Amino acid sequence: MSGSSSLPIPMSSLDLASQPTQPFALEMRQISKSFGPTQVLRDVDFQLRAGEVHAVMGENGAGKSTLMKIAAGLIEEFDGQILVRGHPVHLTSPRDATRAGIAMIHQELSLVPELGVDENIFLGQEKLQSLFFVDRKSQVKAAEEVLKTLDFHGPLQLPVSKLRVGEQQLVEIAKALVSKARILIMDEATSALSINETERLFYVIRRLAAEGVAIVYISHRMEEVSALAHTVTVLRDGRHIGTVPAKGANRKDLIRMMVGREIQEMLAQDKSMTTTAKPMLEVRNLSLEHPTPTPSRPRLVQDISFTVGAGEVFGLGGLLGAGRTEIIQVLYGLHPGTSEGEIFVEGEPVQILSPLQAKAHGLALVTEDRKRDGLVLGAGIDRNISLPVMRTLTQLGIVLPGREKALARSMIEKLNIHARDSGQPTGSLSGGNQQKVVVAKCLVTKPKVFLLDEPTRGIDVGAKAEIYRLIRDLADQGLAMVLVSSELPELMLLSDRIMVLREGRPTALLDRAEFSQETILEYASPGGAVQPEFLTLEAAL
Amino acid sequence: MNRAAGSVGGFLLKTKLFWGLAVLYGAGIILSPVNRRGENIFLDPGNQSDVLRQVANNGIIAVGMTLVILTGGIDLSVGSMMSLGCMLCAMLLTLPGWTTASTSSIPILGVVAVLLCSYLVPLVATNVRRGSAKPVEQATSRIRLIGLVVGLVVGALLVWWMTTQLPSKFGVLGVLITVPAVGLALGAFNGLVIAKGKLQPFIVTLAMMVAIVGLARLLGGETAAVYPVYTGSNATENFEMLRTLVLHVIPVPGIFFLVAILIFGFVLKYSAFGRYIYAIGGNEHAARLAGIQVDQIKVAVYAISGMLASLAGVLYTSQYRQGKPDAGAGGELDAIAAVVIGGTNLMGGKGTMTGTFVGVLIFGFLTNILLLKNINSNIQFVLKGAIILAAVLLQEGQVGLWWKRFRARTKKVSTGESRRDEVLQDHR
Repeated sequence: MSGSSSLPIPMSSLDLASQPTQPFALEMRQISKSFGPTQVLRDVDFQLRAGEVHAVMGENGAGKSTLMKIAAGLIEEFDGQILVRGHPVHLTSPRDATRAGIAMIHQELSLVPELGVDENIFLGQEKLQSLFFVDRKSQVKAAEEVLKTLDFHGPLQLPVSKLRVGEQQLVEIAKALVSKARILIMDEATSALSINETERLFYVIRRLAAEGVAIVYISHRMEEVSALAHTVTVLRDGRHIGTVPAKGANRKDLIRMMVGREIQEMLAQDKSMTTTAKPMLEVRNLSLEHPTPTPSRPRLVQDISFTVGAGEVFGLGGLLGAGRTEIIQVLYGLHPGTSEGEIFVEGEPVQILSPLQAKAHGLALVTEDRKRDGLVLGAGIDRNISLPVMRTLTQLGIVLPGREKALARSMIEKLNIHARDSGQPTGSLSGGNQQKVVVAKCLVTKPKVFLLDEPTRGIDVGAKAEIYRLIRDLADQGLAMVLVSSELPELMLLSDRIMVLREGRPTALLDRAEFSQETILEYASPGGAVQPEFLTLEAAL
Repeated sequence: MNRAAGSVGGFLLKTKLFWGLAVLYGAGIILSPVNRRGENIFLDPGNQSDVLRQVANNGIIAVGMTLVILTGGIDLSVGSMMSLGCMLCAMLLTLPGWTTASTSSIPILGVVAVLLCSYLVPLVATNVRRGSAKPVEQATSRIRLIGLVVGLVVGALLVWWMTTQLPSKFGVLGVLITVPAVGLALGAFNGLVIAKGKLQPFIVTLAMMVAIVGLARLLGGETAAVYPVYTGSNATENFEMLRTLVLHVIPVPGIFFLVAILIFGFVLKYSAFGRYIYAIGGNEHAARLAGIQVDQIKVAVYAISGMLASLAGVLYTSQYRQGKPDAGAGGELDAIAAVVIGGTNLMGGKGTMTGTFVGVLIFGFLTNILLLKNINSNIQFVLKGAIILAAVLLQEGQVGLWWKRFRARTKKVSTGESRRDEVLQDHR
């Protein structure tokens, strides 16, 4: 396996021939690591050159994050050797890594929300005035300089919580640059970014690479990797599978390397049903108050009307902040008092003011953030699955453990959840399996309407395919689905119809024949087109 | 071989709390002074039963505290709640007629009875028919009405019964019903403010802690701060019941404590209510989205905590034969300490009633040993504080990590310290 990695790495877009003796910016040799009985890395080799964008790909649990955490000094104990610019180093704390010029930007950003931009950038390395007092002025000045190079123009003394996610990410990068990082590790950097923000981030990454910063880019998204990276390293089951130049690496090959088995190109799947039997969910004039209304957007969501038939997957498209998630939240009773509109389930008007009522009327929600909203991470799979239907598993308030276990086991089998046993804490499962537990939690309530908010965020290709199949199967069984996804290919693959939103208002309702990335983006972007029927609504207001 | 060793290690690690208790107990035997007849004083049945009596109050409070902490909250008002219970109990026992104590507590008892029945009757009614996979049906308005009627009847009966007792002062059953009802009401108020006002439990219960001490003092009036309770002379004879030893060894307060541990341990482990408590502490968002009525559970948990704390007040009155407005001062901290020693995570979602039981015993035996050794009471405080810290550090598994880290660092020095410095220099 080390044989494959010691092949010469052709650098298509980098001219490193002029400096052949230059050592690798970062070299990791024979890295192995176990967490308890499970070995997550086996003799992995990894080489990173200065000025290179090096993508690391692999399914969840392949070990990519662990490998990079070792490089960032977040994991103390491991076997193997790390060399920075040819010198062996011992990285046992983030501090060591910072001193060696390595910075890592995590999927979940690690900024202090209430501190200002400059304070965050200089956190732990404050510029001091006379030993004790922070010299805010020169901090702001220095921060400004760094941020200018990142194309960030905004007030610097605002608390970062007031910034958009994309801007916060730039602040993280600035923080790394200020600490003189020459090796930048980015973990799933774009998972929370809109299309525009992603573009800007890419621009920054390319510029940094051109300046000689070595960048490791961990991602699930094939499109991003081919757009950005010079080199791709694929890990699978903790092993180094191969390192190839990004140019010329084709999508199918990469997927095969990651998954290790032939899977049908998932995007080629087609689906049969488009005719809808009977309406399961109908929504009329749904709206939600804006906490801080502006003239251009008086309400967070408004004029939303649609019908979803049994067996139909209804997609909600739009940019981040267009109000897709909010619609789903209103349907699930999470905004009582601030939302208006009529909801019908199977033709019956219903009032949904709490998740309990939503559940009682046959709605189920797969949340966007499974760790925050979906799972009790410290509790076992069985405990999580039984939670929504606890009262059906009890006799006089006492839980019948046999019934609980049986329910969990049937779900584990049905959804093919990989676990040691039904009591394994959900926090120790991989992302894909966690997501399956979230789906299982919904299924046990025997829902009629399934609300899916980013059902495949941050899970690997193999698990994605399984979730897709599951969604199709459930639709075929007559459930109505409302799907929100930021990944357009996914949205188009799964949906029968897509409603496109822009700033809280619908701009188009597309049938399957009309689906294309360009069309959806056109209707989603500010200033873009609006379908006539929605135009009149907007004009009337 | 290796695996066997590992599993033994795992077993030892899992049961370390019990080993801690065993070591403490052993230390007690060894350190104990010996009486004139050459008997070990620590092992004397009288001493053992004293320990159980002494831990009972703290233990009962700790049971409620465990529930609260498992939901991720904290209840600082329990000490004051105990003081109030103690004062109420003493006054009801020794003063006939309508006093501040009886005029305030009897109406509260009535209201609590009505609300509790009209909440519990529909809950039980809808649960009896459960067991099928049918979706949860809401209680019909008829069942609710029945609940309300039952509540009114029960409430009226209780109020009538208590009122008839007034001329001749309360009996033991009277105080055992009335005082915890007041605690339940105040605890429920805690829970309501926390759940509906979306406030930090720390702040809400801190405010209540201050306010309830004031109430307890107001209750007694200006003239008499302490109410002595002499059973048989100024109070009913049957109150003496709470001081007796069952089978000559087990003190009655200890029985209250053990029963509370058993009931709420069972509830935590086997009931849906218990599951909800763990779920809320583990991830409140997820619990809410799963359709759990988080607010209801929280109110219930704080109500139980308040009820148990005021029950501890009654037991205090029986042990010390007096009602004192500072009977429970600092009680909340002892209870929290016992719960935490028992391995319950202050963040919520993790912990057991067994742990709390052992935690309470560790605390009790420690106090007992220090007393037997005649150690200066101020040194006792210092030692207790140190023991709490040590216990929690062990519980959280940090000590093992320190050891590993220490080993890793000492190993490194020989191999690469100098080279690392080189690289870092290179970078500056």
